[in-house]
Amino acid sequence: MTPDDVSKKRTGESVSSQLKEILDLIRKEPTHLNYWNAYKRIQRLNLEALDVPNEKRIKVALLSSFTIDPLAVYIDIKSRLTGLYPEIYIGPFNQYQQEILDEGSKLYAFKPDVVVLAVQAESLLGEDFYSGFMKFSEKEQHRAEIIDQLKKLLSLLTSRTKALVLMNNFMVPSFTPLGILDNKMDMGLKSFFYGLNQRLTDLYRESNQVYVVDLEGVASKYGKSRCLNYQMYYMGSFGLSESFLPVVAEEYMGYIKALKNLTRKCIVLDLDNILWGGIIGEDGFDGIKLGKDSPGNAYVDFQRLLLSYYNRGIILAINSKNNYEDAIKVIREHPYMVLREKHFATMRINWQDKVQNMIELAKEINIGLDSMAFVDDNPREREQIKQALPQILVVDMPSSPFLYRQALEDLNDFNVLALTEEDKMRGEMYYARKMREELRESMTSVEDFLKSLEMKIVIKYADDFNLPRIARMVNKTNQFNLTTRRYTDVEIKKMREKRDEFSIYSLQVIDKFGDEGIVGLAIVRKEPQTWILDSFLMSCRVIGRKVETAFLAKIVADAKKEGISTIIGEYIPTQKNAPVKDFYPDHGFEKFLQEGDLSKWRLDLTQSTVKMPKWLEVQDE
Amino acid sequence: MSSRMEERLKDILAKVLLVDKANINDRTSRKNMEEWDSMAHLMLVSEIESVFEVMMSDDDITEIETVGDIKKVLRKLGVAI
Repeated sequence: MTPDDVSKKRTGESVSSQLKEILDLIRKEPTHLNYWNAYKRIQRLNLEALDVPNEKRIKVALLSSFTIDPLAVYIDIKSRLTGLYPEIYIGPFNQYQQEILDEGSKLYAFKPDVVVLAVQAESLLGEDFYSGFMKFSEKEQHRAEIIDQLKKLLSLLTSRTKALVLMNNFMVPSFTPLGILDNKMDMGLKSFFYGLNQRLTDLYRESNQVYVVDLEGVASKYGKSRCLNYQMYYMGSFGLSESFLPVVAEEYMGYIKALKNLTRKCIVLDLDNILWGGIIGEDGFDGIKLGKDSPGNAYVDFQRLLLSYYNRGIILAINSKNNYEDAIKVIREHPYMVLREKHFATMRINWQDKVQNMIELAKEINIGLDSMAFVDDNPREREQIKQALPQILVVDMPSSPFLYRQALEDLNDFNVLALTEEDKMRGEMYYARKMREELRESMTSVEDFLKSLEMKIVIKYADDFNLPRIARMVNKTNQFNLTTRRYTDVEIKKMREKRDEFSIYSLQVIDKFGDEGIVGLAIVRKEPQTWILDSFLMSCRVIGRKVETAFLAKIVADAKKEGISTIIGEYIPTQKNAPVKDFYPDHGFEKFLQEGDLSKWRLDLTQSTVKMPKWLEVQDE
Repeated sequence: MSSRMEERLKDILAKVLLVDKANINDRTSRKNMEEWDSMAHLMLVSEIESVFEVMMSDDDITEIETVGDIKKVLRKLGVAI
């Protein structure tokens, strides 16, 4: 290191510790004043001295029809509290249309990852809309015009940036001059807005770039009469009251966390006083509270919420200090249990330390600790996990079981930007894996085991149906990933459209225990004589079954068919992808170039090939 | 009593304007503080209003130039400061 590097490193460390100190204060006392203070102090730090990995950076542009600076404060600090390093651009006051229309605007120069478009209905409807509503004859047409105007703006915005666009829907006014007759009219004021929101939702249902943020829903939950501070609204055009700001910011954070893959995939549950009331070891099978009467009904309801998450693809697991026999009897036989054995990917019911159990659970399910949430009624157990495994989201459960449901519903850490078929099947897939493991243990040779699985693989080009899953894999896969290049949905979509330059392959695996869904992905850059493996990655759950070889063999076969003479594999080592270190040499590739971390490996197709493993049946589509 | 009120006001000023509490006095003014811009001014007003449970008039708010002015307005609204 040069003296300059040393001094830069030192500055970075000092900034980083100051930042931590400021954020710790906010964690302790998250008041409006402290948020403002933290934001201002952070702006004064030499943030550029920080050494921040790209995946932790996020650029957010805020465009709005009102003073949005206070929202920037919350989005900035809340992003930092989740470990991100945000950079925020605040568009000029009420110039969101100009910013979008002008190709040379600062908005585009900023190159945002996320654009928050916070627009009040008034700015589109005109100032005389409310007062003139009764006399308005062409309401339907007026509504269509507004939608059309928004649509034009948004299509311009999406064609000029790759950013995720968060457009809010509109708060349905709680006041109407028609009073109780509002819904007796052909179109009352409220119907006007309900319809407007519905159109907006329909318009972007299929979009993977524009998301309609349900501001109406958020405001209803919070209480519409508290959403605006009239003094601040009239004096400074503040469109959101101080107390509503954190609520709205939290809603936007749901999208930001999903975009940055800060999503929890697994809920680990305690049993006593979480899934049922009382302690099974003391109260016994008939003594625990679970059923139709209070508080047993609250536990049943809490389980129903967990089941709804399970059905959506969240993995459930158990970590409980209990006698296994006592607890499993309840799970299997209690008439009011909603969750049964098959809903849990795995269980640790024992007297072992819960931290140790958590580590084992993560390993067995094969997910990172940072994908897990932990639900326990005992504050000491929670504290212990927090201390020992800070990556885990420890839910601060309220002391009353009546509030459990709400506490879990309030978390916005389970969001993804698209739900795939795999998500919905995930629970069953984990159960199938458990069965597969049992079979493996009963077999003597690996080959026998693999044969007995009766594996079939389906390889096809990316299509609209599997694109969300592909995008997710590109951004999530760490271990079996040769280059760890990340691409957004939009970038992948654009590659797919350039069929002469790129081929995007997906790989699906099916065996006798079930359909694993799409578990592999390759992006091939096509040049006249050469195909380059830009990305090649597989889900950990199929590693060790030679599917990776089959996948590569299929791409090689396709290349030969096209008359390609060379395939080049690229490899970039990371801290996590050690399993693929020898992937190319193991398949006969020879190294010919090293550029920094990137190494390039060549397979001469006129001389060699990659053979398809025998026990796999390949379906071409 | 009044000194406790004064402390609470200084807490707000210090946090909004990023200044040391020791450097705040009645003559601390908008004119010579870069941080005291219009956004910070409204922030001060909303925090002061919620802490002292008062509501200032539009005139009061626009006429405040110094910390002394804030105290004057608060006294007018019945706060013992």
